[in-house]
Amino acid sequence: MTIGALIVSTLVLASMYGLVAIGISITWSSIAMLNLAAGFIFTGAGYTAYVVSQWLVPLNWPTQALAVVTVASGMVGGALFGLLVGAVAFLPLNDRPNFQVRSLIATLAISIIGTQLWMLFFGPESKPLPQIFGLSFHNLGWISFSNGQVGTVVVSVVVLAVVILWMRSSRNGLQMRAMMMNPLGAAVIGVSVRKTGMRVLAIAGALTGMASVLLAQTFFVSPTSGVQPLAVGLIISLAGGLGSIPGTVAAAFLIALIEAVTARYLSPSLVPFGQFLLVIIILIVRPRGLGGLLEDVRE
Amino acid sequence: MSKQPRIGRRRWYPRWPVRTAATFHRLRWPGTRRPVMRFEGRYNPKTLKRERVLKDKRSTWWVLGLAALFIFPVATGSSQLLSIATIALIYAAINVMWTLIIGTAGILSLASLATVGVGAFAATYFSVNYHFPWPIMLAIGTGFGLLLGFIVSLPVRRLDGMYYALLTLGVTQLLNDFVSQSSALGSGYNGSMLGADQIIPDTIKFARSGETLGFIAAFIVLLLALAVFRWVNGGRLGLTLRAASTSTEDESFVQALGVNIQRDRTMVFLIASAALGFIGGFYATYTGGASVNLFSLDQLLLLLAMLVIGGIGRAEGAVVGTVIVVTFTEWFSSWGPWRILIVGALMLASVLITRAGLFGTKNQFEEFRERRKALSRSSRSSRYSEYLPEEAPEIHDKQVIVDRSFERNLRIRLRGWITPEAIEEHRRKPLGQHSDHLERMLNYFRRTPLANKYAVWCDTPFERYRVVALSGQPGVPPRLVDDKIYGSLDEAYHAVFLRRVNDLSAST
Repeated sequence: MTIGALIVSTLVLASMYGLVAIGISITWSSIAMLNLAAGFIFTGAGYTAYVVSQWLVPLNWPTQALAVVTVASGMVGGALFGLLVGAVAFLPLNDRPNFQVRSLIATLAISIIGTQLWMLFFGPESKPLPQIFGLSFHNLGWISFSNGQVGTVVVSVVVLAVVILWMRSSRNGLQMRAMMMNPLGAAVIGVSVRKTGMRVLAIAGALTGMASVLLAQTFFVSPTSGVQPLAVGLIISLAGGLGSIPGTVAAAFLIALIEAVTARYLSPSLVPFGQFLLVIIILIVRPRGLGGLLEDVRE
Repeated sequence: MSKQPRIGRRRWYPRWPVRTAATFHRLRWPGTRRPVMRFEGRYNPKTLKRERVLKDKRSTWWVLGLAALFIFPVATGSSQLLSIATIALIYAAINVMWTLIIGTAGILSLASLATVGVGAFAATYFSVNYHFPWPIMLAIGTGFGLLLGFIVSLPVRRLDGMYYALLTLGVTQLLNDFVSQSSALGSGYNGSMLGADQIIPDTIKFARSGETLGFIAAFIVLLLALAVFRWVNGGRLGLTLRAASTSTEDESFVQALGVNIQRDRTMVFLIASAALGFIGGFYATYTGGASVNLFSLDQLLLLLAMLVIGGIGRAEGAVVGTVIVVTFTEWFSSWGPWRILIVGALMLASVLITRAGLFGTKNQFEEFRERRKALSRSSRSSRYSEYLPEEAPEIHDKQVIVDRSFERNLRIRLRGWITPEAIEEHRRKPLGQHSDHLERMLNYFRRTPLANKYAVWCDTPFERYRVVALSGQPGVPPRLVDDKIYGSLDEAYHAVFLRRVNDLSAST
């Protein structure tokens, strides 16, 4: 019984954190920008979905349509906020000296400003989103889960698979992968760094936005709700090795497992302790993260 | 004529006339060969009188700025301002040491505030439990800062950049959780621990003299931090590390010279950590305890904002950035969330507009001005001079440049007047009065230098004439240009004219 619940909560957490972490990871590997504004995008997408759903609820749409529109609006909002972050922190700094550090600080400043702006616009209290998957509960012998948990895992796995497939097979995905392997080489053969960078930011933003809507099923949207996913996403993407999607997925599972185990058997307040301890151990054993080989290529 | 870009003026240095031997005398720091201020004794190139030039104005600015920082809070007499200023000074000292780690050593460590926190908690713990007086608390803080610095510096060779930053952030978070969970340390209100011995005696604790004493002590701590910064950054360690930090190639170059970069880096890190621990000990003696707030992410971000706004890598940037940010966050505390918004906006602006914060703007502006200068020079040269812009500054006699550009312009104008009519006019009447344009051309031909100037050579008067070119050197005869023989002097004159016209139209 407890093992089953543990597995379920690990899967749910891993799929949500994984989305944010993969967003951070592909942003880093394609445009060398560590996006600390992921929390801002996360919250922004949550508020977008909230505003859209507030607008839709009086129309009395069927639940499925409402769910689809809510998720879609979260993803669109995330993509838009990703583009906003790109317009502020990526486009003006792209060809300037010291881009890595400056863009890092710029995204940090955006997230600081963003938190205050959300506070001013929406106030400090949490805003609920409509229940997308309903509240029904299933029991399969030793394992039991809610609709929401299954929905979260399935939706995030499907979307992630679509994104990876798109990156593997489409021409834009090819451009993105070319930029991940060798930014200078990609620019030389005619891949537009700016266009591709903005596209990456939009996709990463959409992933983050979806994670936001999914997480808002349990934790409502508030001005600071982006901080924790950002921190966890950051440590997952670094522990997984920036730029490596398999490494990121593996790290997401490890971190989520630690979180589930710590919260269940020890104390929820010890969760960050356990996560950071794990990351420190991972980094000491494998200094470039679990799947990290790309860093050598970048040099 | 297109608009000339403005170039800007030359650098100005203060200078004094000196008549004694003091012109070439320099005051040096005792025990070193380092001059206190960078005076340069020289003879003025125009007046040839002796004078001293102050080549580096930074020390003057430091003295003035620190004096203002000291006098302003004490003189205004507001108790609130005094306590804010004290906090600002402590933050400034922390930031100066952090600059040493990030700037000089090039280690992206986020554990510096945590080092302060460890020093503060250790000092408080020993003071509360063993009743140590405050001077020993400072020593304990230093020791524990060094200890944490040593532990954190162990993986610094293995990890780089962001990964190390994440690791140090993790250490901060672990310490945060450890302290807030621990019953011995963070059990007080808001995870704080109080009751340490204080540098301000209890009798004057809430009086104005006590506040002033705390302020002066914090000021001394800042001065000590600046002294450590100067000692490390200006010394051998700092020089080699700064030489190595510009790029990876330079790092291998400095290593090839026999410098152990990693050891030097760790050394700087340890020195800065010990200093941060000392500041932590001072923090405990000033506030009478320590708070878990020292490990919080918000506080760390605020300190990072201070560094970024001032400019990473410079002590003056660390101090001024601290003053700016603390002014907004503490002094305008009635503004609510807007002040954090302003700090964030300042951070964003400084990163988007400047290359290295407030104190990098001077270099950035000078580079910009150099670019404009080069642009302006090249646009001028393409219009007037036949010198390349790179060549022009190396020619000492500027009159040569002016002469050549005048000649060039003249040739360009004369070339436009070479017409079949003018040539026909000259053929008909080589001597005597001509039309204006032809007259001017002939004037130009007459005053060309003698070397390779064409002339008429008379073989037999009234029968045989030839065209020659003069050598321009005494004793060296002219050389024959071709085999043609002209039957009359006028024909010969015209032949010379044609050759000169030919040369003129081929000239640049």
